[in-house]
Amino acid sequence: MSELVARHRGLLALTARETHRVLKLWTQTILAPVISSLLFIVVFGLSLGGRIKQIEGVPYDQFIVPGLIAMAMAQAAYSNNASSTFQARFDRYIHDVLSAPMRTWEINLGLSLGGAVRALAIGLALGAVAVPITGVPVREPLALAAAVLALLLAFCALGVVVGIYAESFDHHMAVNNVAILPLAFLGGVFYSVDLLPSPWQEISHLNPIFYLVQAVRYGFLGTADVSYWLALGVTLACGAACAAWSAWLFATGKRLKP
Amino acid sequence: MVPSPPALELRGLTKRYDGGLLALDGFDLTIPDGAFFGLLGPNGAGKTTLISAVCNLIRVTAGELRVFGLPHDSLEARRMVGLAEQDVNLDRFLDVRETLVYHGGYYGMSRRRAHARAEEMMEVFDLRGKAGVRAPQLSGGMRRRLLLARALMHEPRLVILDEPTAGVDIELRTELWTYIRRLHEQGTTILLTTHYLEEAEALCEEIALIRGGQLLARDSADGLRQAYAADTLQDVYLRAMEVT
Repeated sequence: MSELVARHRGLLALTARETHRVLKLWTQTILAPVISSLLFIVVFGLSLGGRIKQIEGVPYDQFIVPGLIAMAMAQAAYSNNASSTFQARFDRYIHDVLSAPMRTWEINLGLSLGGAVRALAIGLALGAVAVPITGVPVREPLALAAAVLALLLAFCALGVVVGIYAESFDHHMAVNNVAILPLAFLGGVFYSVDLLPSPWQEISHLNPIFYLVQAVRYGFLGTADVSYWLALGVTLACGAACAAWSAWLFATGKRLKP
Repeated sequence: MVPSPPALELRGLTKRYDGGLLALDGFDLTIPDGAFFGLLGPNGAGKTTLISAVCNLIRVTAGELRVFGLPHDSLEARRMVGLAEQDVNLDRFLDVRETLVYHGGYYGMSRRRAHARAEEMMEVFDLRGKAGVRAPQLSGGMRRRLLLARALMHEPRLVILDEPTAGVDIELRTELWTYIRRLHEQGTTILLTTHYLEEAEALCEEIALIRGGQLLARDSADGLRQAYAADTLQDVYLRAMEVT
């Protein structure tokens, strides 16, 4: 064990640095997204929930919790890694890491894990508050754990990739505001896609975040708009593609090294 | 006794940037173990590109780089090199102590060893009073001290100093000279780039003149003066660079 630790001290130090950054800025990185997601639960779930009684047999305030948690975690994992990686490039302190005796996968993983820590902290905090408020169950904990791992794989890697390509802070914000957020809202966070008329129902099935929301929803509620295995499979495939892209960038040095 | 491999050996090092600029063109250089070696040349000569290649900060177009006989990109070779870059590139989220301790971690030091070494480095570079201050809040001189402390944190055998005294006051420059000399006396190989010719003359055993990505000459300061029939190193430099 101690030999393993000694071999990967660089990875451990980089992970500690990324986690340190998340915790140092905890009001921005953890508290703010938790509060905004809770506001969604309170405003949409508890107030609109009085008018929309149930969706597919589930109380509305419980129905929206899994999607909101998935959305908050995905955004946190992405934006943390995109901003941290971009900042490291912009200020060039990434040189301290690139010149260190670390394997490329260790640098990639170390930069990715900060987003995972942040997303998990947000997910746990939201769950700790939303479960007692709404009474949302966790019917399939193993399925939920697998869905969360697939979420972290996809959005942590995507964040690092965008952080490597971004030329300014606007770029990584744009990916969040123009792609992730709209796709999350259109991915069935607030409604069941089965209730949409054609062709919107079919179009929704082209949205990868739809599958992520369904996989997480199945973990909580034991029910979803599509098969859990399909939802998990699509999310894992997206995650594998992002992780492969990120690994290629580190292995070749493209965009990281002139 | 088997002679120790050179601290740095470059063979046919070529770097062409994506935009087409040829920064280094088949560059050959050998720096013996334990040397104090100066690299002089105008802006754009290729000095920083050379250093970046050694430290794995750029993608090399062609050529071979070895550090103490090992491929420069091997983990063992990287562990033996310490770099203080010309531009201040400190992590804005970390204070002085954290900067040093995390750097030690990146280079494989245990947490306990990294803390102990960070205390040593802060003592040597007079940074103890600023241990809890984040990099953006430090003065220019303090940042420069921290850059050097970070470069030396993991006790490298080859220390690369890219314009280490640019923009620092005379007091700090003298302090740094003293420390770098002491380091060299202890057996550390130093590769120094500088625009201060008197600095190169005072510190370096051997000096290489570089321009347009090519090596023009290398010798001791006296040897260069003889070769260029010049009275001062400044005259040597001006003649070599053909700016007179």
